[in-house]
Amino acid sequence: MDKRIKTVPRYGTGFKDRLYLPAIYEGMKITFKHLKDNVSDSNAIDVLEYPEEQPTDITERYRGLHRLTHREDDTVACVACFMCATACPSNCIFIEATERTDGVDEKMPQRFAIDTLECIFCGYCVEACPCDAIRMDTGIFSLTGNAREDFVLEKEQLLAYKGAFGEEKSIAGK
Amino acid sequence: MSDITITVDGKELTVPRDELLIKILNKNNFAIPQFCYHDALGMDGNCRMCMVEIEGQKRPQIACNTLPKEGMEVRTRGEKIDATRQKILELELINHPVDCPICDQAGECKLQDYYMDYGLYDSNIAKSDKVHQRKHIDLGSEVMLDQERCVLCARCTRFTSDITKTHELGIIGRGDHACVSTMPGKKLDNAYAMNVVDLCPVGALTSKDFRFKQRVWFLTSTPSICHGCAKGCNIFIDHNREKYKDDTVYRFRPRENQQINGHFICDTGRLSYKELQEKRQLESIFEAEPVEMDVATSALKTMLKMHLKDIVILASPELYKEELESLMRLSERLNATLVCPMESYYDERFGDDWLKSPQRAANAKAIEQLGISTELSQEQHIGLLMSFDHRDFPEIKSDHSVTFQTHIGVDADLILPLAAYSEVAGTLVNEDGIEQWCKQVIHRKEPLYSVREWVRLLEGVES
Repeated sequence: MDKRIKTVPRYGTGFKDRLYLPAIYEGMKITFKHLKDNVSDSNAIDVLEYPEEQPTDITERYRGLHRLTHREDDTVACVACFMCATACPSNCIFIEATERTDGVDEKMPQRFAIDTLECIFCGYCVEACPCDAIRMDTGIFSLTGNAREDFVLEKEQLLAYKGAFGEEKSIAGK
Repeated sequence: MSDITITVDGKELTVPRDELLIKILNKNNFAIPQFCYHDALGMDGNCRMCMVEIEGQKRPQIACNTLPKEGMEVRTRGEKIDATRQKILELELINHPVDCPICDQAGECKLQDYYMDYGLYDSNIAKSDKVHQRKHIDLGSEVMLDQERCVLCARCTRFTSDITKTHELGIIGRGDHACVSTMPGKKLDNAYAMNVVDLCPVGALTSKDFRFKQRVWFLTSTPSICHGCAKGCNIFIDHNREKYKDDTVYRFRPRENQQINGHFICDTGRLSYKELQEKRQLESIFEAEPVEMDVATSALKTMLKMHLKDIVILASPELYKEELESLMRLSERLNATLVCPMESYYDERFGDDWLKSPQRAANAKAIEQLGISTELSQEQHIGLLMSFDHRDFPEIKSDHSVTFQTHIGVDADLILPLAAYSEVAGTLVNEDGIEQWCKQVIHRKEPLYSVREWVRLLEGVES
């Protein structure tokens, strides 16, 4: 047999499982319990009246919209090493590197764009970044636009977003 | 000299007596880390990375300065040797800036590879204690030098002193301050200078042309043959198709072939990749107007029917042998004259005594072998001149002219696009008569017609 094929044991062959009725009973018990609770006191249902009411539980580790950070001297922290683009599972980061001439470093992105329609917000880019240049700490969870192109965030837009949790600059090398 | 038997990691090998141990180990696929040894440059013994254990010797020995002996027992792995390698690697990396994010070598860097294979230690030196040297120095000849990243293996200096004999590079300074440099005010300047980029095992010498264009791990390397001249140097074409873009070539790298080019290629050939995507003829042009493919082909058919007696076909000597053969068949069926004037492809100034041939036509030998005429008689009246990418096309007078062009820049009644050599597969015969197969490298989103596809279309007209 092919080595890649793994045989897993089949569950649910017993008499009780084949009857289905006990499982249906267990499920319906939970459903009716919630129905009873909700009907008896509708104010206790945990709902957020979005968008009038905004969420308050967005924490530091929430993966919001991306931003590009700055160095201490307010220049772009990204060095266009392509680590994020390499790690990205949906290939939605588009970088064009160029020579950096201001003496701070050798390399910087000419273009840095994220197609947020293709992005799955997994945060791998943040994990991969060796320069702490890309973060998902803006706290922004909704993005609207009129055309598909509006969702491709370019370098300037990404640099303009502010971090929502205090830490503003890149802390690479500290 | 008779062969002898040695044992490496318990495996018996029969080897020639006069071959260096490192060469034997490399040939038999034993992983031996090495910076300074290179097959083309020989041993230097300065990097000390290729340490192996030899039974009966007190200390580990460098494999690059050891000759095999009858019954020698060599161990390439083991606790002792791994520890030695780790310590040597730590010394190599002691002043390394670890700026992999901005280094073009990242991904094909021996320091990275060996650190993952043999290193994996925690650094004992703080970044602030490292010795700083000059970075991004333009050495000339499209080579960039970063002195901090250098491991002083001297491959580059040995290349300029032993192979090109131009002696531009040297190691100056002592101890921590030793670095590769040119003489003050002098530049790296020879026709093979960019080979030092491939020779450099780390990111000290990088190509200015390739600088920051792509990360190497995105590239696909396809073996091919350089079309710069009739030498037929073996190369790798490194290309990549980025999302939403077309397949693009980013660089040529030499591929080892001891019969032809050894380990190297010339700079002209190396940079000739640019021609594959610059100024390409992508649309059909009929009477100076861009037209759709079907309009162009019907115009071609009308022209062909108009001149069934006096057709001349010009074949470029850069086409593959199979393409030339199909043009021969076509000219026979159309009763046309097939010629390939060669004068404009010969450039005395380009040639040298190593890898650059004055014959710039990559497949000149195939023209000779197939017996295609290279003389076009002056008196002959040409009704329809059909050129397959030949350089002389603009100079030849005719009633009507059709040209199949890979690149823009000529004028004709009908101009049709043609696939470049990287987009077709075929055989090249180099000037020494060595036949070499070129794979199709580039797969365009919208493929252009190759010579053979055009010939098939033209044969359909005739019948």
